[in-house]
Amino acid sequence: MPELNRLPATRIVSTALDGAVWPENRLVLRTAADELLIIPPVADVSSVTSHDPYAIVVEDASYAGVWLGADEAAAILRRHCEWRVTAQRPQFAQGAIAGIATKLWLEADRVLFVVPAPYAVEFEERIV
Amino acid sequence: MNEFQEKLVHFTWPEPKKSYDVVIVGGGGHGLAAAYYLATRHGITNVAVLERNYIGGGNSGRNTTIIRANYGIPEAVRFYQHSLELYQTLEAETGRWIMHQEKGILWMAHSEIGMQQQKARAAINRAFGAKTEFLTPEEILKVCPEIDLTGGGVWPVVGGSYNTEAATARHDRVNWALAEGAMMRGVHVHQKTAVTGLLMEGNRVTGVQTDKGPISAGIVMSAVGGHVTSLAAMAGLRLPIRTHPLQAFVTNHYARTFHPIVASTNLLFYVSQTARGEMLMGAEIDPQPSYNYRSDHHFLQSCAFRATTLLPFLRDLRVLRQWTGVCDMSPDYSPIMGKTSVDGFYITTGWGTWGFKAIPASGEQMAQLIATGETPEMIAPFALSRFAEDRLMADRGSAGTH
Amino acid sequence: MRVIVDQKPIPFAPGDSLLVAMLRAGEHPTEGGCLCLGGDCPNCLATVDGISYVRTCQVAAKPGMVVERHPADGYPLLPDDSRHRAEVHAHNHHCDVVVIGQGESGRAALAEAEAAGKQAIGLDVANGQEAIGIYSGPLVVARTAAGMLHIHAAEVVVATGAAEIQPVVPGSELAGLFTSRAAEQLTAAGLDLGRVVAVGTPPAGIECELASGDLLRFEGEGGRVTAVITQSADGSENRYPCQTAVVGLGLYPRDALTRMGHQLPVRAVGDATREADLPTCPGEGIICPCSGVSVADLERIWEQGFQEMELVKRATLAGTGTCQGGVCTPYLRSFLLAKGKTLQPAFTARPVNRQLTLGEIAAGAHHHPTARTALDGEHRRLGAKMERSGGWWRPWNYGDVWAEYWAVREAVSIMDVSTLGKMIVSGPDVLELLERLYPTKVSTIKNGRSRYVLLLDERGYVFDDGMICKDSDTQYTLTFTSGGSSHAEMWVRDWAESWGLDVRILLQTQRLGAINVTGPLANELLARAGLDNPPPYLGHIEATVAGVPCRIFRLSFTGELSYELHHPVEQSVTLWRGLLELGQELGIRPHGLETLLKLRLEKGHIIVGQDTDMDSTPRRLHHEWAIKLDKEFFIGRQAVLRTNKIPLDKQLVGLEMVGQPAGYAPLEGGVIWHQGNYAGIVTSATYSPALGKTVLLGWLYLQNGELPTEVEIEGKTARRVEVPFYDKEASRARA
Repeated sequence: MPELNRLPATRIVSTALDGAVWPENRLVLRTAADELLIIPPVADVSSVTSHDPYAIVVEDASYAGVWLGADEAAAILRRHCEWRVTAQRPQFAQGAIAGIATKLWLEADRVLFVVPAPYAVEFEERIV
Repeated sequence: MNEFQEKLVHFTWPEPKKSYDVVIVGGGGHGLAAAYYLATRHGITNVAVLERNYIGGGNSGRNTTIIRANYGIPEAVRFYQHSLELYQTLEAETGRWIMHQEKGILWMAHSEIGMQQQKARAAINRAFGAKTEFLTPEEILKVCPEIDLTGGGVWPVVGGSYNTEAATARHDRVNWALAEGAMMRGVHVHQKTAVTGLLMEGNRVTGVQTDKGPISAGIVMSAVGGHVTSLAAMAGLRLPIRTHPLQAFVTNHYARTFHPIVASTNLLFYVSQTARGEMLMGAEIDPQPSYNYRSDHHFLQSCAFRATTLLPFLRDLRVLRQWTGVCDMSPDYSPIMGKTSVDGFYITTGWGTWGFKAIPASGEQMAQLIATGETPEMIAPFALSRFAEDRLMADRGSAGTH
Repeated sequence: MRVIVDQKPIPFAPGDSLLVAMLRAGEHPTEGGCLCLGGDCPNCLATVDGISYVRTCQVAAKPGMVVERHPADGYPLLPDDSRHRAEVHAHNHHCDVVVIGQGESGRAALAEAEAAGKQAIGLDVANGQEAIGIYSGPLVVARTAAGMLHIHAAEVVVATGAAEIQPVVPGSELAGLFTSRAAEQLTAAGLDLGRVVAVGTPPAGIECELASGDLLRFEGEGGRVTAVITQSADGSENRYPCQTAVVGLGLYPRDALTRMGHQLPVRAVGDATREADLPTCPGEGIICPCSGVSVADLERIWEQGFQEMELVKRATLAGTGTCQGGVCTPYLRSFLLAKGKTLQPAFTARPVNRQLTLGEIAAGAHHHPTARTALDGEHRRLGAKMERSGGWWRPWNYGDVWAEYWAVREAVSIMDVSTLGKMIVSGPDVLELLERLYPTKVSTIKNGRSRYVLLLDERGYVFDDGMICKDSDTQYTLTFTSGGSSHAEMWVRDWAESWGLDVRILLQTQRLGAINVTGPLANELLARAGLDNPPPYLGHIEATVAGVPCRIFRLSFTGELSYELHHPVEQSVTLWRGLLELGQELGIRPHGLETLLKLRLEKGHIIVGQDTDMDSTPRRLHHEWAIKLDKEFFIGRQAVLRTNKIPLDKQLVGLEMVGQPAGYAPLEGGVIWHQGNYAGIVTSATYSPALGKTVLLGWLYLQNGELPTEVEIEGKTARRVEVPFYDKEASRARA
């Protein structure tokens, strides 16, 4: 059974996300027009806050995730994902998987499944 | 060869007249019942029921045929218990077979708070005349041995309320028995006659415009389901109604063995077996308002899943057919009956997912209102004016399910 | 290789369907009736491996399959149970085009789509892929040997072909009758049909005698056909003795899926688009074998005044059986055309097109998930009874509710309140937004302070409550009830967007754990955890507690000195365990929801949803103090001003039972009576050990303009009293 672990991240809600610059060794998930999830956390968020003094910046471990190989991920998606994930890689996508709100980071050979940690146990049970 | 064919009811289809004392818009159960009770209780027969398609073709012919009185507020318990009792004698009164079967309805609870709510439901039901008991899981098993009390290991059953007089009847048969009873006494029913406008003089309705010409009337009553807001708008009324689809499905026929009606407060499905042996299932309304009659896969999938969680034997039954109706939901989950601010224009609506069980009582009470001009005490709390007067009939006991 | 038919093993040949195997062995799956082998008629239905109403012509025979005939009279029995059957899986497939049917036109459509560079898939009923419906999307749902297939395609092509029209004459229920295509398939499978007489278009490649004239009836012996009787134009009858009768009466398009897909990107090709042959409705015979409806029944129901297609269907039940009108529709239409002179459309096409079990259709479904706090494992380890509440698993109690109660009232206790809705709102317009959303004067909340607030809808009814905490001039923290948090988020976001206000919103319910530390020894516990300067009542500070960085809010729902410790959720377990350990000497024990419900009731604090109703105005809740009508605007203000002018009808009041034994509490939700009349409903009730009496909240209707002072509940007297019941001066919470 794949085991999901909490993903420490920096979460930013801001109107100034478009031009922001982040270290290359981070996953930067644009979860909404005004929201970013940066995994793992970053210390310097000045490229946002210098443009938006009202930005909300928090350390956030409310999501849990697991990396799975591309084949295993594809099998899970075939079973549990009713929406179309296009073939482009890398790609970010989000929607219900196995009835639970899920974010996907898809790379050529692996996929990160991210769900709200309160649903991680049920998600694990469902995608078996 | 088929004992369930209709063999007794005879319809007559006269030509329309130019004028009637009463015109009822909508040839579903509520419209036909009002006509039936006008004719049988008040001798008022110069009445026309106008139906844009065929009688009983809307929600009256699409519902899951459950009759129960286990509501959550005193006014509703009294009203639905009265309706349940009218149903009990409707076969004898009309001489027609409506396939009325007393079965009892089980509402299962799956948590401490849910159990408390079902105990309260039983208490308030008994206080106002409905026969509802609280049952322990062991007692539930006696009523319905097919239930998996562990709820598939996910939704264990911790108790439930049991409205012992709950029943089912064949929806079409109810509509037809009422239609025929009205027709026999001189009421006209006109199918394929769509109302396209209301004739008004000042603040009074004087008749209806139809796709076959105008018909004048002393009183116009709306018994429209689904598009009631459109009709009311013709009278300049804005109704606090949102229309949502409601879906259901049946399985093939099986030799009858499943007795009660079963519902779950958390899983929001309900199951009963028809007189012909089909298992009939439904669930909550679609969340988005719509007039769409298209059946939906997610509903079928989810409802089947939830039903089989508590009744595992259902898994091997085959689905035969699914369908959709549209429900007029009021903000307080209670119906709207009575006069409106427009003279001569009466309304019965807001029947949400509980219209079928109310057909006789709604018809009887609306007929009394039309005949006497006075709102009967039983339906006075359900007047449209309650929204302006801040007197909601908030009934969470009816919310969400049939 | 054998299958078992009613306990009798019969052999089958490779490629046989169950039906062909049975016919090969001289068995017939039903009493009789014309077999089509195309899945259109109900004449080969049987119970296969415990599942009834299976078309044996559509199931490939496999060794050991168990076939049971349906009872000749009546229906198959409900199965006893099925929980040992393997779970059916669903698979999703996304493509450009799905072609339903792989006959000639279906194969052409598939090739055409592929040639155009489209991702396309074909469903072939010959491979056991049965399309059961076309839904919005479009979504095509199919049952296959490997489970359910959910095909999400941009376009659907229906290439289902046409069904052969079945004979409806006296004797059409006999065995030994086949449609032309069925006869061709059987011959190809090597079956000997004996002496064959063909009616109408003859089958290809089968030696047979052609019966001339119109089909009048079939004659038979022992349930099997022995002769075909036709009528010539001059009225004379012709008799054709036979062992097998084959009918070629015309074709009716299989258009149910096309009609189901009305207004969706669905098109039909091939025979599925052909015009329907309408056979003349005969004077007698069974038109609906599923429901046993005869032509005589149609005549009778027409005379009874049932003349619309739908009314005829509902009154006779023709078309409501397994084949869903497959046999009767052409005849019903021609009957009604002859009677009423208008051609009425077929019944509405509804899913499912091919039947499947509830277990199959349920494949891929899930229950609503229930969220777990970061402390879920801790609660379970401590033996908590867990309950679903507001979408979360929460501890109801840890086994001894009264011990939990006294720990709060006399020592110190903790509760996991992580489920509370928590939100940050930031931006230049934040004050403007909150002033419009909330009925309180938000501008008077000072930095570092909090206030209890109600949320009203446009009708002036309370739908949630919580706290507003001011972080800075441009940032506030809001809390909501656990169950109301999602709705509240939608509410805040919708209004902020509608009003075009410049704010940023983050719902951080799942980011922050929250533990309530409550009881007279709460300060002592916090001091042991390293906090010497806790915030004042309704204040909040940031500090480290038991090594965990916390935002500490001082407020009280239990009535005792209380601190809510909001902290990063990944440190919840550390904080929880730390507090329990540090509090050991202080008599600490955690408490659950059941205890909290009692504690807050003693304080008269309402729970939105339990004590409130859909029409709870602040006035009815006795919460006018929370509403500042002198504000120019807030949502619900106009409605409150209007409803305040209407005479009050009911109010949420405090009650206590008179002279009842310790431990007694009436039913929550039970009825309140006044001099024999309905007077209201109990919303909350508990026995209060601290007070030595039973206390309640309930809705009480005014009687003759006055709230009664004495009422009856469960046949006992209750007296109306002021709330709070416990610690009226709030000296404990503010200590």
